[in-house]
Amino acid sequence: MSRRFGRKKFARLDSPGSEVDYKNLDLLRQYVGETGKIVPSRITGTSARQQRQLTTEIKRARYLALIPYTDSHR
Amino acid sequence: MRHYEVVFLVHPDQSDQVPGMIERYEALIQRGGGAVHRKEDWGRRQLAYLIDKVHKAHYVLMNIEVNQETLRELENAFRFNDAVIRNLIIGRKGPPEGSSRIYEEELREQEKDREREQRRGQEQAARASEGDASDEQVEVAEDRE
Repeated sequence: MSRRFGRKKFARLDSPGSEVDYKNLDLLRQYVGETGKIVPSRITGTSARQQRQLTTEIKRARYLALIPYTDSHR
Repeated sequence: MRHYEVVFLVHPDQSDQVPGMIERYEALIQRGGGAVHRKEDWGRRQLAYLIDKVHKAHYVLMNIEVNQETLRELENAFRFNDAVIRNLIIGRKGPPEGSSRIYEEELREQEKDREREQRRGQEQAARASEGDASDEQVEVAEDRE
């Protein structure tokens, strides 16, 4: 069966030097939208396990004000 | 004893107290028989949003190995220190490897700043010597260096 949508799924998280960590801001920024929301795995194509890791790390980074919760702060 | 990663943010007005604070917390950890495996001073960083009406804060990261009582003491120390505006303590499976990405960036920034200052210093020195000597003489002096 061919895929209904011809979009390639990326597995950027497997490449070396890109551990999912709240201190890895460049990586985390790829997985939040312009408004600061976490992008669903159905769009980014991340595995469920990696998506869970991303979620906790993004939330940690948010708590430490390394990343905004939203684009309409203050 | 377990491994923990600790990050705390210090109010920018209390930024100069940070080295003393790190020392105090280190002493507290060592008194409890723990160990500090990594400590990083990320310097003053822009906050992504306001915390206590403050735009910037001084970030400090520490990877430690402590028992529960000492950890509780450390938590209390953060709670009762008004200079600490936020802290995060998370469990880790083992000691850290190398330095963190943010710290490496910070060090690179500092390096750049230092270079920029050096260049400025050299330019000022060159301008000062131009004042009492002719341009040709300055050029000769530079060539010799």
